[in-house]
Formats: sequence, structure tokens, C-alpha cells
Amino acid sequence: MEALYHFVLIYMVYFSFAVFFIGTTIRLVKIFRKPKQATSLQIYPEKPAKWLWALYDTFLFPSVRKHKPVLWAILILFHTCLLFLIIGHLELFDEFRIFQIIPHEVFLGNGFLGLILCVTLLYFLFRRFLSPVRELSVPEDYYILILLFLIVIFGSQMDWARRWYGYEELLVEDYRTYLLGLLTLKPELPYNVVNSGHSFMLVVHVFFANLFLIFFPFSQSMHSFLSLPMNKLRRG
Amino acid sequence: MDQKTRNDLLQLFRGKLNSAMTYYLETCTRCGVCTEACHVYASTGKVNHISAYRHEIVRRIYKKYFKARGNVWPSVGEAKALDEMALEELYESAYSCTGCRRCMVYCPFGIDTQMIMSIAKLLLIGAHSEPEILTLLADTSIEKGKSLDIFKESFMKGIKNLEKEVVKKWKMEAGETAIPMDVEGADLLFVALAGAHSIVSTAAIFNAAGENWTLSFFEAVNFGAFVGDPTRTKLILDRILNEAKRLKVKEVCICECGTAFRVMKQLAAKQPFKVSSITEVHARYIKNGRINLDPSKFNGPVTYHDPCQIARNGGVIDEPRYILQHLTNDFREMSPNPTYNWCCGGGGGLVALGEETLDFRMKSSSVKAEQIKATGATTLVTACENCHTQLNNLNDHYNLGVNVKFLTSMVADALIQ
Repeated sequence: MEALYHFVLIYMVYFSFAVFFIGTTIRLVKIFRKPKQATSLQIYPEKPAKWLWALYDTFLFPSVRKHKPVLWAILILFHTCLLFLIIGHLELFDEFRIFQIIPHEVFLGNGFLGLILCVTLLYFLFRRFLSPVRELSVPEDYYILILLFLIVIFGSQMDWARRWYGYEELLVEDYRTYLLGLLTLKPELPYNVVNSGHSFMLVVHVFFANLFLIFFPFSQSMHSFLSLPMNKLRRG
Repeated sequence: MDQKTRNDLLQLFRGKLNSAMTYYLETCTRCGVCTEACHVYASTGKVNHISAYRHEIVRRIYKKYFKARGNVWPSVGEAKALDEMALEELYESAYSCTGCRRCMVYCPFGIDTQMIMSIAKLLLIGAHSEPEILTLLADTSIEKGKSLDIFKESFMKGIKNLEKEVVKKWKMEAGETAIPMDVEGADLLFVALAGAHSIVSTAAIFNAAGENWTLSFFEAVNFGAFVGDPTRTKLILDRILNEAKRLKVKEVCICECGTAFRVMKQLAAKQPFKVSSITEVHARYIKNGRINLDPSKFNGPVTYHDPCQIARNGGVIDEPRYILQHLTNDFREMSPNPTYNWCCGGGGGLVALGEETLDFRMKSSSVKAEQIKATGATTLVTACENCHTQLNNLNDHYNLGVNVKFLTSMVADALIQ
């Protein structure tokens, strides 16, 4: 069991982060270095400050709001919660004063961010079972949503147990020791990380997160980086 | 399909993979927001006409041959081999898409289906499976560019015969040329379509405005763009660019042809002359008081169909409305309009394919017919030859009871001498 913990919590983490960072960088560099589109792909009427409008399109999805308002609300919830959860994970490394502008306990959201993410992911998944989105979907669309759901549910239940039921076996300090060890290339697994009642949940959470990171550069998740240049092309 | 043919086709595919195309192929999340965007899907309800489904036909081949996982784990993205069946799917997808780019307005990323369909069309050309008539028409245009001297004289003679028609619409002083040609140093080069209707009305308006203009020897329509062949598109375009440079004109004005306008405005590199649509030029004449129009010439409510390549894809949106303000007191805007205007259903070469596509064009455009009917207009105006033909077909098929007119011919008929 200890070997499994070491493999998933240390070696696999290094491998998956390497694939994520190197894979994403190489893929983006390759894509951006391809010949530029010589002609305009703009849609009219045009508005001045095209970059600002492209940012607006990228982060607020106005076309989705107009045509699928329910999907839009859930997309906004999903992406906002995802952003806060990323901040929450950064706070597991160390204290960042900028994130404490509004003082809060780590993790943000008192457990509700994870809950909202779970619900939104289930919505995304189940809407794929209905026509016509069903006919458009390919296996990777389901796999990514299931993978994200597994990551979130195993991660969140640790948070829920700590915040809602006072099950505080694995503390922020334990995570900090573990994560800073990984970051400084002196990996160690504190006693609580591998021996608490939540250790197995943590291993499963990290395992699925590793799988997601490995798949990320080769999946449509790359829209996180490509959405802005595409929206700029549309704005002209 | 033998290996060599497949490799040749994949080489053509690779040639299309610039950065924009790669964004489009890498990004779609198949969220389904584009579902209601396509007039074909809205009219037929068949899922293979949803924009995302169309791109997926091309994207599956991309995943198979241009992504590592096409070999490692093809089933995850349903990667698909390029074979005869794939070519059939590509044909169905590409030639049921009019390239109107309405779906691009819906997509949260702005994926351009017309761009993706250009891969499908190019692969079909490579496999000699494209509609032959479009290639033949494109080749005829190219040939005309190569041997101008052979047809120049007969063309000029034909144009001379049209001059009396022009004078009927706008009387001129003795000795003035109604349709000037080959005029070096003219301010404006007008590129018309083959056919008197495209020349006569416009010539009368130019003369009424006192324009220093000259008529191009070449027709504006670019069949290379319809068939999706970049080489032929460029050769056809180059004939006009070279003529404009030879005559040292300041402006090239494209007749009522959406594809020709978009190809000239957006696909030609930066040129030493301005590119305008005929609608923009007419609006300018009215604004500057160079022509005056009589609005009493037309009775009944009038509506305007925005040609996709001129409005949503070309930016000419306010000008036709400005002109119509001077032609009618009862203008009725279509809804939705103009960015979300429904395509007429005849673009992308479908009208050029004639009777062969008529049944599909009618079935796939019922939403357009309903949109027209809802305006209650008796006159339906447009500024594109393709749209005009398709709208006439729709008028007959759905008994819309409208009079389909070109905007230019209305301007010419309303000229005050």
C-alpha cells in the first residue's frame, strides 16, 4: 500500500505535471507557429476595441447566454468555481496575501464550491445523453466529464468531512508539507497524509487528477488557451 | 482507396492546417450551442446538418492522421480513416453547407464552419469527386483570363449592343459612351456578372452620378471559391486584380454578387485600390447628392434580404437600408436581422448547381420562407445574384407572392433625370 501511495502521490504527480506543462507548451508553440490566416475571418457588424470584445466573448460567453441561458448560467458557475478551487489548491502550498483580500479559511467556499462543481458536471454529463447533443458527442466528451466528476467528488468529500462534520485528521499544514516537498523536489509524505482516515480518498483524488493532467494537452480542454485567439479572429 | 491517393489527399489536408484552422479543429467541445444556427437543420431537423456534426466529419480524419492519439487511442475521439465512405460523408457535409457562417455567431469559440468545410471541398477536388460543373465553370473563367485578346473584340461588340438599353434608363449627351471599357486612369472599375441585367442598370446609375468608370472584361463570380479550390480562386481573382492595376483605377466596385465581393474584399491581399460593393457606391452617390431617387416608383411594403457574404461576412449592413429609405416609405425589417439573418439557402455553389440541388434547396430553406412571409412585404429586395435566384425559387415553391428585385435595378428605375 505504501508503494502505491508513493507511486501516485509522488512519481505519478511529477510525471503528469511534466506531461501537462511540456505537452501543453509544445502543442501551443507548434499551433502558434503555424502560418497565420492571411485573410480576415471577421463577423460583422464590427465594434471598436476588438481585443476587449474578444475578452468579453472568451470569459462571459455572450452567445451562449443569448441562445442557451440555462447552460450559460451553469457554465459560468462551473468556470467560476473551478477558478476558486484552483486558488484553493494554491493556498494549500502556502499563504498568499493577495488571495486573503477577503479573509477566509482554506479552502474557499466552505465546501459549497465542490458541491456546485459536482452538480454542474452532472448537468454537463446528463445533457449529453439527450438528443441532439448525444449525436454530436464522442467518447472523450463523456470521459473528461466523468474524470472531472471523480476528481471533484473525491476531493470535495475530504473538504466536506473537515468543514461540515469536523473530521480534521488531515490538516492544511499536512498538505503544505507534502506539496512544498513536491515543489522543492524533496518529496516527503507526512504521517497524516498516508495514515489518516482520508489518505485513501486523497490518493484516489490525486490519481484521477493526474490522469486529467496527462490527457489535458491532447484533449479539447485546450480551449482554455485557444478560446481567446479564436474569438479575436471572429472580432477581426 | 489506394495508399498513394490517401497520402496525396492527406498532403492537401496538411496544406490547410494554418493556425486558425488548427484552433478550429482542436477546440470544439460539442456543446451543441450551434444546434439552432444552421438553416438546414432548422428546416429539416436532421442532426447531420448541425454545424458541429459537419465539422466532426472533417475533425475525425484530422484526429486519425494529425494527432498522435489517432494511432494510440483512436476510439476516444472516434478518429476515422480517410476512405471512400469518408469522401461520401465529406460531400454530404460540404455541399449541404452554404458557407453562410451563421453558426460562427452562435459558437462560444467562434469556430468557422465554412473554413472547415474548405478542407472537405479540397479533399473532394483531390479525389476528383467534386461537382464537375463548378470546376468546369472555374476553368472557363481562368481560360478567359489567359486569352483575353481572343474574346475581347466580340465581348466589346456585345457590350456596345447594350448601350441603347442603358440610354433608355438614363439619357446622355451625344458622343458620350454609355458603357466605357478599357479606360486607363478611370476612377472606378466595375466588375459585373455575365448577363445584361448586371450591367445595364448599374451603367445607367454610374452615368447619372457622372462617375469616371470603366467596365471590366471579366465576370465577378468566383467559381473557384464555390468549389473550394484555393488555386483556382486565386487565378480567377488575379485576372481582375491585374486589370485594375493595368488601368490604374482608384476603386474596384463589385456587382451584386456576395461571393465575388467577399473574395475581393477579404481574400485579396492589400491592393493599391479601394474595394467596394455596388451597394456601398450607390449609398455614397445618394449621400453626396450625385443621384436623386423617386420613392413613388414603388408601391407596397418592401423588405430586404441581407446576403450573408455581403452583410454578416462583408460588413455592408447600413448601406442597403439607407438606399431603401430613399426608395420606399414602407420598409419592413426581417427578424432576426442582420447578423442573425437566415441564409437564403443558395450559397456555397448550390444555386450554381441548378436543378440538381433544387429539391434540397427548397426543403432546407423553409425557415427563410417563413421569415420572408412574416414581414408581410410584397417586394423582396436583395443585392446578390445567387440569393436572387434562390429567393425566386423559394417564392415559387412556397407561394410567397412577393416580387423579388435587385436593389440596383430599383435604384436605376427610380433615377430622377
